[in-house]
Amino acid sequence: MLYADTVESETLVHKPSFVVGMLLIFTALFTLFDLTESLFGHLMRPVIGEPSEAGFLGSLSVGFLVGLLLTINVVAIGFVRFRIQVLIVWAELFILFMAFFYGFDLNFEFIRSKIWFMVSQGLVTTLYVSALSITLAAMVAIVGAVAKLSSNGFAYAIASFYTSFFRGLPLLMQVYLIYLGLPQLGYVIDAIPAGILALTLCYGAYMTEIFRAGIQSIPKGQWEASRSLGFGFGLTMKRIILPQAFPLIIPPTGNQFIAMLKDSSLVSIIGVWELMFLARTLGSKDYRHLEMLVTAALIYWAMSICLELIQSKIERHFRTKSH
Amino acid sequence: MITKRYLMGAAAASLMAIAGSAFAGEALDRVMSNNVLKVATDANWPPQSFVNENNEMDGFDVDVARAIAERLGVGIEFVTPDWGVITAGRWNGRWDISVGSMTPTKERATVLDFPAVYYYTPNSLGVHEDSTATTPSDLSGKVVGATEATTYYYYLDHSLVIDGQDINFQIDPGEIRSYPSTAPGLDDLRLGDGVRLDGIIAGFPPLVKAIEDGYPIKIVGDPLFYEPLTVAIDRGDKEFNDKLAEIIEAMHEDGTLTEISLKWFNHDFTKGY
Repeated sequence: MLYADTVESETLVHKPSFVVGMLLIFTALFTLFDLTESLFGHLMRPVIGEPSEAGFLGSLSVGFLVGLLLTINVVAIGFVRFRIQVLIVWAELFILFMAFFYGFDLNFEFIRSKIWFMVSQGLVTTLYVSALSITLAAMVAIVGAVAKLSSNGFAYAIASFYTSFFRGLPLLMQVYLIYLGLPQLGYVIDAIPAGILALTLCYGAYMTEIFRAGIQSIPKGQWEASRSLGFGFGLTMKRIILPQAFPLIIPPTGNQFIAMLKDSSLVSIIGVWELMFLARTLGSKDYRHLEMLVTAALIYWAMSICLELIQSKIERHFRTKSH
Repeated sequence: MITKRYLMGAAAASLMAIAGSAFAGEALDRVMSNNVLKVATDANWPPQSFVNENNEMDGFDVDVARAIAERLGVGIEFVTPDWGVITAGRWNGRWDISVGSMTPTKERATVLDFPAVYYYTPNSLGVHEDSTATTPSDLSGKVVGATEATTYYYYLDHSLVIDGQDINFQIDPGEIRSYPSTAPGLDDLRLGDGVRLDGIIAGFPPLVKAIEDGYPIKIVGDPLFYEPLTVAIDRGDKEFNDKLAEIIEAMHEDGTLTEISLKWFNHDFTKGY
């Protein structure tokens, strides 16, 4: 809730005008979609007769039924507590989503035969490429942030050039530039190191800005107090500034990691056998791309959910610690 | 997306054109001293090369590559870079050879060497089952798909040259849609006649394979052109070139190639046309 006040008001979804409006709109929508051929149409057989010959009245009555069910559902959810509302809506959306995928007519036997390889080869590669890249990027970022805040012209110029360049190019372009460009300088780089390097440099540039903002958010008085105690720059940073900046830096860094997990799919174009690459290739022999794409999509999603949970734990940890 | 990838491929090609080429004997020495032949293949191109049930590389090209490695007396390793990266040449020793059904075009010959032709494929026009097209020329003015940087694509934009063949460009497409590989093009075609594509130019074998796998596609007319397909190596290593030419010549003569072709295509495509 943006702002929790104490004014008692009727729940929106229980206002009669809203309920009627909802019913009308749902009915109109589902009538337009014409669900007579669906499961609901067949359930309504006693009322509308043979679904395929039901015509407009048939689709209207099926539309009304589905609209009514949906409206009752919304009104009912309005009665329960917030947490339960969230749970029910999530569950319903999830079931709808699964039904949507189920409608693709996928071959589950094929998915079962490939899923272990997708996890053991694809997911593992995706995870270790991302984890290594985010660690290296954090190191780049801390150096970059200090340089960007420095009064030294060289350091500032190099750091700002770096962030400008690597934030200004598409990541896909960087992957190509590093994989194809570095060998021209005589250094032949393999696909996986090239991918890690590209992800590190790109995310390092974004994270430089995150680190810079985190360090800058510490009040000037902290620096002054530290200086007056005779602390040098390094000690001030290590003992005073960074410990206070980290609670601000870590949550967005976690976000970057989740984003990287998905962006790491770009390294599939240089032939790294990670999740996205396998999603594109494993189904090719039997022309079952959709199966593999849907599977990979669900794996990515499940992985992101896990990481989001960890992320919110970390955020809570720092929130309680800093206040 | 497609256009972007195409531009990227072009950017990749021009970047690679800056570098030097392999020194004589270097590649062969490398293969022999590492005791392994590193082969660049496409993982997304059945039945020539794909990932099989056991999640290993398999297919016609893969079998040919294995036979070559066996005759060189070394082990084998597969890498799967983008096709555009392979054809751009200047491999810098990343891999030793491409056994990827490559057509020896003039442009490619400036950066690659082609030791020997190992088979010939007919290339055909595929359309959706519901299409009314009866000859390839019926597709003129329509939307036709092809994999980027392939002879199929060059056939459509009328820039294809193959030594020793007069090519009759029967189709004058209204729009050419390029794909990173054949599979996504076939997926677009299966959606329906003219939904995203009116037709696709592809190798005869992958079209037949797709039809066998239940794609609602049919092949129109006779093959549009036959394509000699070669193994390719980075330019400038004569010893390696001669050694491979000798091996493939022997594989033609003793029937090894015919056997592999029958295994994967049910046709002998190794004899030309």
